[in-house]
Amino acid sequence: MAKTSALVFGFNNYSVEIIKNVQNEYGNVKIYSLNEADKENEEYSIEYFDLSDNWQAMEESINIENSVAFCVLEETAENIFLVISLRATYENLSIIAVASHKEDANKLLMAGANKVIPLVETTADIITNMLENPISNDVLHTILYEESDLKIAQIKIGKESHFKDEELSNIDWSHYNGIIVLSVMHKDMKSEFIYSSKAKRHIIEEDDVLVVVGFEQDIQDFEKKIGSNRYVSWNNWSW
Amino acid sequence: MFTKLIINFAFYLQTSKNYQSRKHFFTNLLQNNKYKYKKYLDIFMVLLIFTSVAVLIREVKHPIHDYMFYFNSYVISIVFFIEYLLRFWIHSSISKIIVDRAEHDSFLARPTNLLKAFKKIMQVKLSYVFSVTAIIDILAVMPFFHELRLLRLFILFRVFKLFRYANSFQTLASVLASKKFEFFTLAIFASVVIFVSSVLIYVMEANNPASPVNTMFEALYWSIVTISTVGYGDVVPITHEGRIVALVVIISGIAVLAFTTSLVVSAFTEKIDEIKEIKTVEDITKLKNFYLICGYESIAQDVAKKLKNHGNSIIVLDADEERIKLAKQDGLTALQYDPGELQSYKKLHLNMQKQIKAVLCLREDDVANVYTALTVRSLSQEIHILSLLMENSNRKKLEYAGINSLVYPQELVGLITKELVGQPVAFEVIHELRSEKANVNVTEILITERILESFATVKTLGNKDFRVVLLGVYKKKSEHFYFNAIESTLLETGDFLLVIGYKVFIKEFEQHLHTKVQNG
Repeated sequence: MAKTSALVFGFNNYSVEIIKNVQNEYGNVKIYSLNEADKENEEYSIEYFDLSDNWQAMEESINIENSVAFCVLEETAENIFLVISLRATYENLSIIAVASHKEDANKLLMAGANKVIPLVETTADIITNMLENPISNDVLHTILYEESDLKIAQIKIGKESHFKDEELSNIDWSHYNGIIVLSVMHKDMKSEFIYSSKAKRHIIEEDDVLVVVGFEQDIQDFEKKIGSNRYVSWNNWSW
Repeated sequence: MFTKLIINFAFYLQTSKNYQSRKHFFTNLLQNNKYKYKKYLDIFMVLLIFTSVAVLIREVKHPIHDYMFYFNSYVISIVFFIEYLLRFWIHSSISKIIVDRAEHDSFLARPTNLLKAFKKIMQVKLSYVFSVTAIIDILAVMPFFHELRLLRLFILFRVFKLFRYANSFQTLASVLASKKFEFFTLAIFASVVIFVSSVLIYVMEANNPASPVNTMFEALYWSIVTISTVGYGDVVPITHEGRIVALVVIISGIAVLAFTTSLVVSAFTEKIDEIKEIKTVEDITKLKNFYLICGYESIAQDVAKKLKNHGNSIIVLDADEERIKLAKQDGLTALQYDPGELQSYKKLHLNMQKQIKAVLCLREDDVANVYTALTVRSLSQEIHILSLLMENSNRKKLEYAGINSLVYPQELVGLITKELVGQPVAFEVIHELRSEKANVNVTEILITERILESFATVKTLGNKDFRVVLLGVYKKKSEHFYFNAIESTLLETGDFLLVIGYKVFIKEFEQHLHTKVQNG
């Protein structure tokens, strides 16, 4: 089931960037800050919250279980406390948190975050790739983040798909012009590179997800040909 | 007429490119420790010195071949003499002194006083001739006159020439020189004790027929052997008075030894950082193709680690002592220099364009990064500068400072979350490809002329046989990436193949591209 609301905890540069990028995805974006003074902000509508575990006021306006929470409090300890409070109260809430270091990221994962972005490591990875592999960095950056025709998509094998029950290695992908299949994610949430020995012998089943790269039009043609659709499911989160 | 001739000749030498470049070459060869060929000359001279000493030792008890004798006496002496003359030549410029004098006098509208110029030349050149190193150099040439047997012992002066060629000797000398005053005081103290005790022991013992101290020389010998705490025991006092003197000398000896040891140790302790810094700067000067990281905070630490794992050389500059300490602990070459100061780069004698791959301004502070970027840009217009951007409102300022690439972590977080919520599986796949720890990764393969000889088109590559996905071809000419390039795509030198696969398979694929060329 698609998530309908985004809850952003903390108001800082990170949350502003997150809001900018996710506001088109969600009908409802709520911002909460520990600092009462942020309520005065003219650009964003910000609500005050504390870490007292009292989520009643929030529950009245949104369906928290059907939301995605972004925890970006500046104080790591507070951020961890927030994640653990949310997880303790809402089992099905999807929580994405930002951590400065990997060690904090591990703590946040232990506290119940579904996904943690370790800031230092991620930035360092980007910088290293920019310097060492500038071309692949540009290409992957374009595929992932920029509004270009070249896209990456995840396509779920449906009931009617003619790939169903076929062995992955038997499929001649060259029939599907313009598409490159990178990996397949099985029902058990483990994704395999298309050329891995496991993937080779894998028989495609319903609900498997193919990760493909291609131009928008080619991806659409591919979807039509194989009878499957692009798909996002929060249940597929493997972390 | 004569004066004019000399002045014209001096001007000619000063402006002659040929003459100046030769002089510059020899100056570098003999004096510039950073000049890459100097070490070869140094090794050659050290070998000559050791050969010379080896011959001297050999001929004490064994006859030596004539050619060895002539080599030792003439060839080595002539080489050393040529070196002496070259050093004499490059020490100062005669033509420059004459030109300066001529310009000075013409400015004051009076005839050139060559006498004053010659006086200055004499002064400068004699200062060289009477310098300790020059004296050692000329004494080392003396064995040329081997007929005078005594002069052959001057071969030992060649050993002193080692000081010139081994930097560590110069370092040792400079360290000890820093405690000149203390050593002088110690020497005075030791001399007084030696003198007084020699006289006393002579007075107490010389008239005793059973005593081994009979001459003033024996008394002096005993004093020095005792004060140095060596105590051979071949000369010992036998009278009570003499033994009392011995007690005083022994106690003084302990003091002298302890004082000397502590002086040497403290001199090294005080200078150790300086010595290490000089060594580091020398190493950096010789380094090529390295990344210069300015500021060593958390992101910089991670970047340095990753770049190092890729086999890159990294130099870290930071004004903060603690961060530099950390960089050194992380096994990096680091200097406590302020990356925003021009002086820091001057001290390093860097040829920025040739030596540095890119400058990374990784302070988590926009003000510091702008300052560093401007300093680097003032030294080189071409060098690639990458910087962190902490506040988006400062973006323009950083761009204005001449930074080529900006990394704004907050924006990254925004983009990542967007992708995460939109396509979590796809995001993970790409993230895995980028991650260094993953088995599957994306690699750029450069198309070289050798590869091109056998693989002219995409079709011929055969990447599928190696279980490698060809994501596309980056064409150098058009600077465009052709995703999923069609089989007939022509490859050209300088193009890049972007492939995805297991590291092992990619390696095999790369080997295949090269092997086929080797097999013809």
